Amino acid sequence: MSQHANRSLLKLESVSKTYRGSPAKAVDHLSLEVMPGEIFGFLGPNGAGKTTTIKMIVGLLAPDHGRIIVDGHDVVEDPVSAKMKIGFVPDYPNLYNRLTGIEYLNLVADIHGVSASERSNRIEGLLSMFDLTHAVGDLIQTYSHGMKQKLALTGALLHNPPLFILDEPMVGLDPRSSRLFKDLMRSHCGQGYAVFFSTHILEVAERLCDKVGIINKGKLIACGSMDELRRLSKEADESLEDIFLELTLPEEADST
Amino acid sequence: MKTRLLSLILAQLNIFFSISHSRYYYLKKRQRLWEGILIAGSIIILALTLAFGVYKLAQGFCSQAALLNQEALTLTTGILAAQFLMLILGVALVISVFYFSNDLPILIPLPLKPWEVLTSKFAVILANEYLGLLVFIAPVFVAYGMRADVNWAGYIPSAILVFLSLPVIPIAVASILAVILMRIVGFTKRKDTLTIIGGFLLVGLIIAGQLYLQTRLSAPGADEEFIMRMLARANSLVTVLGRQFPPSIFATHAVSLAGTSKGLLNLCLFVGISAFSFYLFLVLGNQFFYQSVLSGFEAPKGKSRPFVSRAESAQAHERTPILSLAIAEMKLFSRTPVYALNGFIGFLMFPVLFVVLLVMGNDPEMAKLWGSLRAMPEFHRIGSLLVAAYFFVLVAFSGIPFSPFSREGKAHIWFLKSQPVSGQEVAIGKALGAEIMVIIGAIPGLAVFQYIARLHVSSFVIGVLLGIAASYSFCVFGVLLDMARPMLEWTDPRKAFKSNLNIIFGMLIGAAILFGIGSLIVTLLKRGYSGLMAQAVSGGVVALFLAAGLKLLQLAADRLWMRIEL
Ligand SMILES: Nc1ncnc2c1ncn2[C@@H]1O[C@H](COP(=O)(O)OP(=O)(O)OP(=O)(O)O)[C@@H](O)[C@H]1O
Ligand SMILES: [Mg+2]
Repeated sequence: MSQHANRSLLKLESVSKTYRGSPAKAVDHLSLEVMPGEIFGFLGPNGAGKTTTIKMIVGLLAPDHGRIIVDGHDVVEDPVSAKMKIGFVPDYPNLYNRLTGIEYLNLVADIHGVSASERSNRIEGLLSMFDLTHAVGDLIQTYSHGMKQKLALTGALLHNPPLFILDEPMVGLDPRSSRLFKDLMRSHCGQGYAVFFSTHILEVAERLCDKVGIINKGKLIACGSMDELRRLSKEADESLEDIFLELTLPEEADST
Repeated sequence: MKTRLLSLILAQLNIFFSISHSRYYYLKKRQRLWEGILIAGSIIILALTLAFGVYKLAQGFCSQAALLNQEALTLTTGILAAQFLMLILGVALVISVFYFSNDLPILIPLPLKPWEVLTSKFAVILANEYLGLLVFIAPVFVAYGMRADVNWAGYIPSAILVFLSLPVIPIAVASILAVILMRIVGFTKRKDTLTIIGGFLLVGLIIAGQLYLQTRLSAPGADEEFIMRMLARANSLVTVLGRQFPPSIFATHAVSLAGTSKGLLNLCLFVGISAFSFYLFLVLGNQFFYQSVLSGFEAPKGKSRPFVSRAESAQAHERTPILSLAIAEMKLFSRTPVYALNGFIGFLMFPVLFVVLLVMGNDPEMAKLWGSLRAMPEFHRIGSLLVAAYFFVLVAFSGIPFSPFSREGKAHIWFLKSQPVSGQEVAIGKALGAEIMVIIGAIPGLAVFQYIARLHVSSFVIGVLLGIAASYSFCVFGVLLDMARPMLEWTDPRKAFKSNLNIIFGMLIGAAILFGIGSLIVTLLKRGYSGLMAQAVSGGVVALFLAAGLKLLQLAADRLWMRIEL
């Protein structure tokens, strides 16, 4: 996909969001950019605003200020085109319990206009990769947490989206699936696509991500490659964990 | 022990009436406070209006009955009707609340006895029924009290006790039937399906049983002599009418003879039977409730067929997004017992009533009536309008199009919201799904109607087309209303559906529209216009509605869809 070469797949320009009735900004003038071929890890303590940011990107929340551009489409002005470019799995993928796995996948494929032949190829490939083939005829109700997550991943990848967005994707996956999934993210980026995901597992972020953004209290406090982040820290050779803990010190501890 | 049960009950009531949630939502966050006030205000006004209507009705009934020395008949009639309705609607209600509440996985691991959980859920159902009874029965008690010039000091406490006991028997009976049904269903594999079918069978049986009792009581021939004899004794019609359901006599006498020793005896009898039926239910429930619930947690796992054929069959399934959304909506609705039971019941009530009447009351009078109706010159054209109206009634009272987004709830709406579909596509998909369900649901009723009325094929077809257009436009309005104010916050699926104000608005608007068009047509016919004219006018109105609905869809759907946030 060479046409993506110079254009960012995801661009946030000074995006803010305040939940109604809440005094503080959940996301505060956040700007970042994800280029084709990049895996972007989005880190931050609990309540930092990661999920809020992701919800705005995928159209579950409208930003108060700022613009979000997905592969050239503004998510507020042209939500359908923007969403066509996205594959999304939320932190708790509640799927329709009373559909079967295959019914769910066909619904997703229909909505994205995936042609029949492409659909069966991709469904078959993804399902056998995630070892879900045997369960796909059962109601989703009968799936374990991890199976639901793998089905949601399959649904999100069905249309081969240029931008893959995940909120804490590793939670609930067994070691084999999580390895598979990491390989998948890599190969996805190999096609010139991008992955944007939030996580609390710093080792994964450290090894996997081309770029890391750290958000705290709604503000992006650090962003860049691992090397760039290391330069921010006091001592060289620090792990991402050290950097993260240093940067996200609670206020009280800060002043001492 | 006592406090544990009490706090459980209070917690259930809190959740059911969203007390904490509303307090947070309206008072702390001050979000849409005006909307809350507006809604509460209009509901109170509506309830008062309805209650006043019932009061007037009861007053009129009372004066009529007084001529025959039968004032207490007012009470019996009200009590019987209320109990019958609570029994019929109670089946779906108790199955939903007892077996499909989302808090069961939280409650069951707690160190509680099944009967304690059941009691707390029962309390919730009672509270729910009291709200309805306040509007529909309290005015009857007041009207009777005024008319019969009772001794209020004795009357009020008796009336309150009877009022409080009133829902216990029907709900306990419905619960006992439900516990038995669910125990049987628990042994089977396709639990959801069998729950739905079994629930409908129960309702059908109850209606049939009731009508059987009624027809037996009014055996032709014996009527006149029988009634004359009864009239000799004051209030003895009460005894006759109440024979189909003896507790209603106790209830009547408890109220009408309040203050006397006989009244007290009847009061004790009524409260005692209510308590006993509740006890019976608890004994049975304590035995079987958890077993059934636990077996319900084990969703059926089909023998998965080999996947290759599925992937191949996917090719045959390529659909447009709108059609795919509509089909998903239908599958999700009809496979969820809570929705199917509560939503489809209207589709069956009318045909079952009709069939039972047909089978039982093989009445020559009835046949003669139909004969003369059919002979009327405009019968077929007017009949076609009745067919159309039937569609409309089903849409308005099933509530299906007024709840599609509420039913998705906070848990599931993320999916559609993050999919590349516009608000218009989503709305059309949901409206189409609702419409198809209504069309299918109309078939049994229409079949029975056509069997009796035997309309010309052309009139029947016109009626069906008109009905589909009218109901579809109403579906569009409904979907837009639910898009504008979806009830996403719920833990109990029943709540999204049956406690949803959008559905109540839908029924009211539907009733108003039907009344409006109906009066218009009656006026036209009275003024001597032809049936063709009536058809043309209805067609015009429907076309107008449809155009307005589609225009509104175009204007509002995308914006409303954007506004839904989570
Ligand atoms: N629906 C909501 N209504 C009001 N406030 C909310 C809502 N959702 C989140 N918040 C608030 O917004 C802030 C950011 O929350 P967010 O869910 O984005 O954090 P997060 O970074 O995803 O945290 P975690 O790591 O725990 O998932 C928090 O302060 C939270 O309290
Ligand atoms: Mg989060």
